[in-house]
Amino acid sequence: MLRLRVISTAAALVFSAACATSSTTFVEQTATPMIEVEVPKVAADLSAADPFAAYWNASRPASFALIAQPMLPPRPDHATTDDIQVQAIHDGTRVAFRLRWHDAEPSEAGRLGEHSDAVALQFPVVNDRLPPVTMGAAGMPVHIFHWRAQYQRDAERGKPEIKDLYPNASIDMYAMDFKEAASGSTEEREQFNPGVALGNPQSYKKSGVDELLAEGFATSAVQAGHGSVARGEWKDGFWTVVITRPLVIEGASTLRPGASTSVAWAVWQGGLHEVGSRKCVAMNWVPLKVQ
Amino acid sequence: MANVKNWQLGRDVAYQYPESRPKKQWAIVFDLNKCIACQTCTLACKTTWTSGKGQEYMLWNNVETKPWGGYPLAWDMRILEQLGRQDWDKNGAYLGKTVIEAADDKERVLHWAPRDEDWQYPNIGEDDCGGGTLDGGAHLRVLPHDKWFFYLPRTCAHCTYPACLAACPRKAIYKREEDGIVLIDQERCKGYGECVRACPYKKSMENPYTRTSEKCVGCYPAVEQGVQPQCVVNCIGKIRVMGFISPPWRARADNPVDFLVHEKGLALPYYPQLGLEPNIYYVPPIHADRQYLEQMFGPRVHEAIARYRELPKDPVAAGLLCLIGSTDRIIHRFDVKDGKASGYDEAGAELVTVPVSEPVIERPPWDARIGAIRNNTP
Ligand code: SF4
Ligand code: SF4
Ligand code: SF4
Repeated sequence: MLRLRVISTAAALVFSAACATSSTTFVEQTATPMIEVEVPKVAADLSAADPFAAYWNASRPASFALIAQPMLPPRPDHATTDDIQVQAIHDGTRVAFRLRWHDAEPSEAGRLGEHSDAVALQFPVVNDRLPPVTMGAAGMPVHIFHWRAQYQRDAERGKPEIKDLYPNASIDMYAMDFKEAASGSTEEREQFNPGVALGNPQSYKKSGVDELLAEGFATSAVQAGHGSVARGEWKDGFWTVVITRPLVIEGASTLRPGASTSVAWAVWQGGLHEVGSRKCVAMNWVPLKVQ
Repeated sequence: MANVKNWQLGRDVAYQYPESRPKKQWAIVFDLNKCIACQTCTLACKTTWTSGKGQEYMLWNNVETKPWGGYPLAWDMRILEQLGRQDWDKNGAYLGKTVIEAADDKERVLHWAPRDEDWQYPNIGEDDCGGGTLDGGAHLRVLPHDKWFFYLPRTCAHCTYPACLAACPRKAIYKREEDGIVLIDQERCKGYGECVRACPYKKSMENPYTRTSEKCVGCYPAVEQGVQPQCVVNCIGKIRVMGFISPPWRARADNPVDFLVHEKGLALPYYPQLGLEPNIYYVPPIHADRQYLEQMFGPRVHEAIARYRELPKDPVAAGLLCLIGSTDRIIHRFDVKDGKASGYDEAGAELVTVPVSEPVIERPPWDARIGAIRNNTP
């Protein structure tokens, strides 16, 4: 307990030092190890995701150790991401999380054998009965917000065509894609692309962040979004990603000032071919204190 | 992890899920002595199944020249090298580890991950000989040849214990109970590519456009209607037959695939030591290096070659070989009587009847009518 108090005093000092510099310029603060995440209220519009907005000065970054996903093979051999720095704020209707972790170089995926850097936030659907932190369990769902550099690329530059991934690819003709005669409709042409034809969300342009519900490993399913927005930037060996969402999402996770809830996270190093169950995760649920 | 029976290895092996054999098991038998690498099979599959975006590089069926060819690059050497020693005991039981048994506790399958450059050379090593270099022309008078190559056509093996299925953390891959065909659910696949890493035969492939993994579908819509796959019915060399294989304890001598694999021991699974009970079977090429063949087909390869050379004395086997390529339909049962071979469908209806030997006509080498020498060019 004493140690904890010392840590939070140190954090408070850093915090006031940061605030002292300026309230209109963003200052990257040093994160300190914590056991919970405080979510102060700010007077700002959190409908867009901005990793370097000055309003982040109002939140103390807390750092949390990550472990290599321990349950389900295939899993990483060791923790490839040691820790994650977390900041959170809300504006009365939306809550924003700023997540920062070390990654030597950005990976966006697209070509064969490549994987994307990614981060996910996980919330319990029922706050007073915490599901297993390992993606929930049957009857105990979790609500997940999954950002990938690859999804952000979709949102900003469109879902890549083969020519975007392989500029020198030589393709005679795709089915029903005639140069001179009438071509089929988009739908008819997409019949030849099974994932698209069957409506697999993975095969469609992403908005930057996927919302999912899961009741245990292997069960995650993409949901219609509830207005979550995300944006990340890689700079100087760090990814900084902001995910914002409404505080209350009926039928999924709800965050209310004063009420207790929890959060967890996962990080994927795409450059190390992490994807799916190859990830580093929070050791346990972390309490969220929404002010 | 479960213990499951693998008849190809003569022992139980470890697998992710308990043994659950399908009612029928899809299988293809290829006679490697007859493949001419015309790639008609490859194109038949390509035009049927993989003309879409992201499938440009995919060859669910490919034909490579052994020993130097491989698509993706050196796929077999790269997994065999990792697997370590692959010894067999005198009774034909496998003593080494399978790709599942050799994986550490953080992985499900021993594997390597192909990158895009590995998929760039479908024809590498084509028609290149093994057995060293030559300064001049060669005369290959004895078997096996000291300079050799052979063509290896490959599809997905719709394994009894698929590594692709075992590796998928989303359980998006399933093996059909009715015919043993292994499919990737294109609605649920999230493109993690674990199957691509895990399949030691490298027959699961990433689609960078749909961002899912795809593989040979065994031509299931045809199979459901009693028709053989596209790569089989279009084979120019008539070297292939598709049917259903039984495990040895349920083998039927009048089932063409059971006859070739179990009854005669003519056709063998390839790289059985990987441990998946693959269901494509090969009649080994009699001219190729025996050690190489033993590595690829296991210790029973010598016996298979001896049996093959005795075929002219075996009217039933000769009859079956005549049936291969004579019908598009799946032959469930065959018989050979009075110099004729017949194939029947699942309901017992006759599909085709062919003569076992055609009349032989011997002609003098000089054709006096047109004043020319006759060439014996088959
Ligand atoms: S069509 Fe038949 S003969 Fe031609 S390459 Fe394919 S398997 Fe060989
Ligand atoms: S050959 Fe590969 S892709 Fe096909 S079933 Fe076996 S493991 Fe799966
Ligand atoms: S069985 Fe069908 S899908 Fe599979 S390789 Fe042959 S033609 Fe292609």
